[in-house]
Amino acid sequence: MSVLVFVEDPADELSQQALSFARSLGEEPTAVAIDGGESYAPAAWGQALAALTRERGPSVVVAPGTDRGNEVLAHVAAELDLPMAANCVSATPGDPFTLTRIRWGGSLLEEARLHGSPALLSVAPHAVAADPADAGMAVETIAPAGEAVVKVSERVQAHTAGVSLADADVVVSGGRGVGSADGFAVIEELAALLGAAVGCSRAVTSAGWRPHTDQVGQTGTKVSPSLYIACGISGATQHMAGCKGAKKLLAINPDAEASIFASADYAVIGDLHEVVPAISAEIRKARGA
Amino acid sequence: MNVLVCVKRVPLTGGKIVLTDDARAISTRHLGFTISPHEECGCEEAVRLIEQHGGSSTVLTLGPPEAEEQLRDMMAIGIDRAVHLVTGGSEEWDPQATASAIVEAVHNEPEPPDLLLFGNESADAGNYQVAIRVAHKLGLPVVTGIKGISVIDDGRLRLEQEVAGGRDVYVVPMPAVVSVKEGINLPRYPSVPGRLRAKRKPLDTNTPARPEPRLEMVRLALPPGSGKQAQVLGGGAEAAPAVVTVLAELGLV
Amino acid sequence: MALAAALAVSGTLFITRARLLARLLQTAAPAERSGDIARRTRNEATIVLGQRKLLQRLGPGLMHAFIFWGFLVLVPTILIAMIGIVDKHDTLPWFGHQGWYALLVDIFCVLVLIGVIADFYIRKVQRPSRFKGSHLGEADLILVLIATIVTSLLLWHATRIALHLNEWPASWSPVSNALSKLFADNQTTRVLERVFVWIHVLTILSFLAYLPRSKHLHIFVAAVNVWFGRTRARGRLEPLRFDDPDVPEEELRFGAGVPKDLTWKQALDTFTCTECGRCQDACPAYATGKILSPKLLIMGLRDAVFAQSEDAERPLVPNAVPADSVWDCVTCGACIQACPVSIEHVDHIVDLRRHLVMVESSFPSEAEPMLRDVERASNPWGKPQSERADWAADLAVKVLEPGDPAPEYLYWVGCASSFDERARKTAQATAKLLQAANLDFAILGPRESCTGDPARRIGNEYVFQAFAEQNVETLNDAGITKVITGCPHCFNTLANEYPDFGGNYEVIHHSELLSTLVRDGRIKPARPQGELPITYHDSCYLARHNDVLESPRQIVSAVGQPVEMRRSGKQTFCCGAGGAHMWMEERAKPINEERVREAAATGAGTLAVACPFCNVMLDDGVQSVGAGLRVADVATLLSEAIEDTSRPED
Repeated sequence: MSVLVFVEDPADELSQQALSFARSLGEEPTAVAIDGGESYAPAAWGQALAALTRERGPSVVVAPGTDRGNEVLAHVAAELDLPMAANCVSATPGDPFTLTRIRWGGSLLEEARLHGSPALLSVAPHAVAADPADAGMAVETIAPAGEAVVKVSERVQAHTAGVSLADADVVVSGGRGVGSADGFAVIEELAALLGAAVGCSRAVTSAGWRPHTDQVGQTGTKVSPSLYIACGISGATQHMAGCKGAKKLLAINPDAEASIFASADYAVIGDLHEVVPAISAEIRKARGA
Repeated sequence: MNVLVCVKRVPLTGGKIVLTDDARAISTRHLGFTISPHEECGCEEAVRLIEQHGGSSTVLTLGPPEAEEQLRDMMAIGIDRAVHLVTGGSEEWDPQATASAIVEAVHNEPEPPDLLLFGNESADAGNYQVAIRVAHKLGLPVVTGIKGISVIDDGRLRLEQEVAGGRDVYVVPMPAVVSVKEGINLPRYPSVPGRLRAKRKPLDTNTPARPEPRLEMVRLALPPGSGKQAQVLGGGAEAAPAVVTVLAELGLV
Repeated sequence: MALAAALAVSGTLFITRARLLARLLQTAAPAERSGDIARRTRNEATIVLGQRKLLQRLGPGLMHAFIFWGFLVLVPTILIAMIGIVDKHDTLPWFGHQGWYALLVDIFCVLVLIGVIADFYIRKVQRPSRFKGSHLGEADLILVLIATIVTSLLLWHATRIALHLNEWPASWSPVSNALSKLFADNQTTRVLERVFVWIHVLTILSFLAYLPRSKHLHIFVAAVNVWFGRTRARGRLEPLRFDDPDVPEEELRFGAGVPKDLTWKQALDTFTCTECGRCQDACPAYATGKILSPKLLIMGLRDAVFAQSEDAERPLVPNAVPADSVWDCVTCGACIQACPVSIEHVDHIVDLRRHLVMVESSFPSEAEPMLRDVERASNPWGKPQSERADWAADLAVKVLEPGDPAPEYLYWVGCASSFDERARKTAQATAKLLQAANLDFAILGPRESCTGDPARRIGNEYVFQAFAEQNVETLNDAGITKVITGCPHCFNTLANEYPDFGGNYEVIHHSELLSTLVRDGRIKPARPQGELPITYHDSCYLARHNDVLESPRQIVSAVGQPVEMRRSGKQTFCCGAGGAHMWMEERAKPINEERVREAAATGAGTLAVACPFCNVMLDDGVQSVGAGLRVADVATLLSEAIEDTSRPED
């Protein structure tokens, strides 16, 4: 059975993961990218990929579960009137085609059957490992189809000070326990010492203490740092959906029963207002020495 | 302008998800309910657009009878009317079935909407496709993941989407379909006069027939535990040295 | 005649002003203050006649009492003086001849003068801070007028004695008699006698005209305001009606937004304020540097009530009262307790909040998650209700399911003790103690939702009522008659506010039950606990609003050596969490730290509480102040005292 994989960028880890996923389904997949030039045009890209699918007749079409991957694949699905399963963690070709995909940002799994051919799947980020050798994968490039009504007309640069949350290697994040906008000063201090980005939970944005751009969670930014330090965060599923990509998680919370500790690698039971400044002081001491 | 917003009633899951015995649904006993966060922001955006440009807004949901609560909540913040496509209990409607039902409802609308707003993905199923499917069926342009909407004078929309490094701008003519992300605005807190008025605002109901699912949920499962046993570094400020040792091991200090 | 003319002028001035006041009251919003005649009568007797609340501060209170009682005693002398103007040989029949009355008059004239002099001393020399913001000039003028009235009366009596015109036996009025030696029986004295009586009467008449235009209006309205004061539970707030079939929706009252939204009782409150500042002195927010002064709030509202004809739509917040002032309040009720004339400041503040929250959706943004969580998740912590009984997981506590037979007691745990890690220990200790005493009790677990107290105190009456109705239904369906609770806020709402929604239960605070069990020997604590004494902090909602003072103290005494703070019992100083402040940020100096310092100063090692909010706030305070105090609920202390192992290492 043949598998088509839509890749955004062979050098991108998530595209590599999509390729690994696709490889597990059958013979060596064909990687396809769409050369849209500077301007992304979702429907036009989808149409091009849909046309290629009709032409090549693969059994499965795979895309990375990124914003763009999901979007383009959804256009293919709508164009071809086929079902599509977003954010899959595993799949088994067959009749019926079965798969497991994530719900609730990863806090729940759904086992499902896909009734349609080809099967359209996007791959949940970090569900499979990427093979760095795939950076050199052979990619077939096609042009977008049709006149694009919907296309990017300009790119406005962001003026964010500090480290970008989505790319940060270390994130120091504060939740309800911080208590106020000013309370974030200790979080910012630690973040500055570690070269980290500052994140927050949804309760914090709802309280007006930090802007939504700082929010980590299912409906905020999803981060995958080497270390995520969660201060005064209880561990609600919608927040964990945003930080489960972290390699290591240190949780600081006064409540030993808080659910975040079930997902943490390291735990400190205490009030962040005491613990975080103490950590900052220790870091300074260690560096000064 | 005429804006239609689609929303979905979802449970507030909190810290742990518990499944029903047959593992085909989340056990919602003792759970509160709300609207998917992206969609709630979509409703707030609709209200703001109408406040700014005049016109009317409608909120629509495909959901069980209890979902009327969510419709009234959104009418309380200022949406003018609601359409309730009533489904049975915990029926699952896959994205294609959902989109078809919505499209049919749109065709039944007295006035076609200039703008259809969706959440980028629903909090529970997270299929990322309903807005796009609806747009295809209606033959309308669609842009997803939007964090900023403004109306340009000649009946076009300027839309901003967050990407790495900045924002991508799309300009599309109306009528159009747009899916938004939380953060596009901060939804207002409803006033009590608003809630009382919402109780009397018009609500049209319909009971669409459920087609056979093509993305068919078989069962739900909790992800395997990480198997993590958190290493307790200490209590209170005294744990700081142990923390810094770990940070050093990770190469951060 | 000149007297008639003076009377007419003064009378007209008085009446026109009185009519304005009456009109302002008539056009105000309605309030239900009828019934409870016995209680109201008792209040008039003790608070007005007995000056009970004024005497809470003995010195100034006594001085005022002299002036007030003097005023009552001297009322007939006004008539006597006016009769004396018309006919210098005439007086009130019978009364004017009574020696004992003349003696009383003399005594009270002197007492009034002492009062006036003392008051001048307080105001001019001591200058207490409670007068900051008050109109001191008005007060000075009033004191001068009072002094003039009694002095002129004494001098008039003195001259009459000197002229042998006294209708009463002169020896019965020693002061006037002594003063009469200053005057000879001659033409000068005859002139002076007329002068003094005219001064006396004219001063009174000017006073009469000035009275309703000044804060001295209180001498008429105070008695009225006390009569209409609250007679039901102190902690109960008056509900709003959202579904009145007789009132069209556009006219529903959602609290106080503009002056005419204030009820007639609230308007009357503002007329009654004497600017004494005792409320300001008692307010914990004011004491910690916040803008809120209950006195200035009432004065601001008073000005708005009078100005409403100019601009009826001028919002009370921020024009009459700054927004911060409204949010600073912790609803501790110290102001109401201190007020000698039964002003109900907390009612005003909550009504202002109701309008801001329910109509304007304007409230401190940090409270928004709490409001949304209460409504959607049924508790202000936003934790899932399914986890509400997790604290009891290892304790074999019965969770009442629908259809189960009603237990003797329902233990209402409350959101704080269910979800907060510090307050949870109290629930565990309480459950263990109830089990040790073999009590038949159960908890509702996930079916227990927030009582709605934080929503109500922050002003969202609508959401509160939804919870009240839901909880009453749950409790009534389960056949509950007796409720034990460890949280004074739940206690207050269940006992005092749920009856308005059909919920009538016998509500017992856990300290009351536990102290009874100790007294009856069903729980036997070993004592003492530790070496250092224990100081008990009274929760405002328990002590001040609901009069539970002794039970927690009995438990403390049973497990250790008690020591009291200066501000204890009903004079307790708030922990800072009331009025939904558990979820709001605090400006200026923290109230909880202030209280912790007071506790530490007693030399105690343990700070005992009987409220989960006090527990959390004071523990936070101990940590930020660095005091060496252990904060624990009385149930926790008792539970530790009955186990063999003593309390955990600090």
